[in-house]
Amino acid sequence: MGVVIETKNLSKVYAGVPAVDRASFSVKKGEVVGFVGLNGAGKSTTINMLMGFIRPSEGSVALFGEELTLPGAASSHQRIGFATGDMSLFDSMTGRQYHEFIARAYGVGSQSVVYQHLVDTFDPQLDKKISTLSRGNRQKIALIAAFMTEPELVILDEPSSGLDPLMQQHFLDLVREQAKKGTTIFMSSHYLNEVVDVCTRILLIKNGKLVKDIPASELEATSGKLVRVVTGKKVAPPASAEVVEREKHGHDYTLQFIYKDSPAVLHAWLGSLVDVKDMTINDHSVEAAFDDLYDVKEAEDA
Amino acid sequence: MLNLFVHTLREKRMFIFGWSLGLALLGYLMTAMFTSFGGGAIDELVESLPAGFEGLMGDLQDWKQLPGYIGSQVFDIRFPIFISILSILLAVGLTVGEEDKGQLRTLVSLPLSRMKIIIAKWTAIVLICLVATLATVGGILLALPTTGESLDLMVLVRLGLFTWLMVAALATVIFAVGLSTGKRSVTTTVGIVVTIGSFLLTTFAQSVAWLKDYEWLSFLHYFPAADIAKGTIVWENALFYAATIVVSLILVFVVFPRRDVKAL
Repeated sequence: MGVVIETKNLSKVYAGVPAVDRASFSVKKGEVVGFVGLNGAGKSTTINMLMGFIRPSEGSVALFGEELTLPGAASSHQRIGFATGDMSLFDSMTGRQYHEFIARAYGVGSQSVVYQHLVDTFDPQLDKKISTLSRGNRQKIALIAAFMTEPELVILDEPSSGLDPLMQQHFLDLVREQAKKGTTIFMSSHYLNEVVDVCTRILLIKNGKLVKDIPASELEATSGKLVRVVTGKKVAPPASAEVVEREKHGHDYTLQFIYKDSPAVLHAWLGSLVDVKDMTINDHSVEAAFDDLYDVKEAEDA
Repeated sequence: MLNLFVHTLREKRMFIFGWSLGLALLGYLMTAMFTSFGGGAIDELVESLPAGFEGLMGDLQDWKQLPGYIGSQVFDIRFPIFISILSILLAVGLTVGEEDKGQLRTLVSLPLSRMKIIIAKWTAIVLICLVATLATVGGILLALPTTGESLDLMVLVRLGLFTWLMVAALATVIFAVGLSTGKRSVTTTVGIVVTIGSFLLTTFAQSVAWLKDYEWLSFLHYFPAADIAKGTIVWENALFYAATIVVSLILVFVVFPRRDVKAL
């Protein structure tokens, strides 16, 4: 499989502060990669460098095997669809006019079967001026524009922000459909569940540094139930539990663990406890699993 | 590139319409006012005004003939000021204005080279300046019958072309600063300093002796409209504006393709 995106020691420094710090990764053809991190972690800065909007302070980006330069980025863009959650469209145009403008820029027809399929999927308000549309409807226009030219690579920065849950689902279906066709997709998102849902690989970025490069299934597998019990006697956790905390405060023993196996086994274990002083059981979400990965990395760094 | 050029004109259609209408009205009203200076009124005015006032009003002797009046009262002061404001708004809007709104990033994300973006936007600016100039000339032509005077069309052609060249040069300077820096404050400041500074320098150099030595710094120094109306064209002046355009375009061609484009 060919490499579509390759970065080497990619860095961007603003006023002496690194926004992205020596990020090296590659994305192969057909992969759907989620790019995840907190606000200010460096996701958008990385994407801006991938698109040739800003120049790396150090390191390099190669797209489709060719090193990207700012003056030459347009030639790569012929093969790339791009959308962001805050995409600025042209307010005086209608959605239809905007799509015609995009089609002419790419030299493709604006009434293709693909375009019609996208319109059917998102049901956007095509004949109203973009300035009058809600954020969600503007986002639909931007997403259609990103996919309508049948690009080999789609780069998306927080693409589903502003979409209602139904449209978010349509968007995820579209990503799956495009992935089946072999389109390479690189998307950043705040919605970890959607990243885990559609991506094959996840890159975690923290404080500008790439801290994890894992299969999406690994992040999904780390979710489960978060159990915390305070007992008067020391107890052993269930066999498959992943212990998060084990402490003794005075006469109390606190045990906290993530549990992903059979609920019946957990139920039986809870039933066997004696001298229970406190107990909480919560869903350990993908978000929490993500936090754990972040923290783990922080501990490793320390 | 044609796509972006047409898109730019479409985005600015109300701007073009509004300014063209306003400038046509300016040309019409200023020309129609010529008749009010007949019957010796201008001689009385010449007698009553101090010589230093000519910096603001132009050579009052020029007012006695329609070509001189149009040269000094329409093209020498008012029209350049208005069309300079147009050029500042236009060039700032199409450069830092679009960048601040994130629209420049949207354009750069398309398979359009930055060179093509420069050419499409600059061509649109120059065309809009031409349309505004033609609208003013059109207003003057419409008002001619009300003056009862005839006017050699070449007077308007010379003045129109020179004005267009001047304003295209000014717009290109602001455009180049805007796309090269991406900073609204710098771009607007340059536009205002060049326009207002030139106006003040040219106006007061007529009556303030020490300013005369610096008047060549004024952008309007190279646009002696009254002389152009009389048929005197100094080609070095045209060359100055042409050179300004070329240098500004070289600057933007070198800098813009290599600089970071702001996100929202």
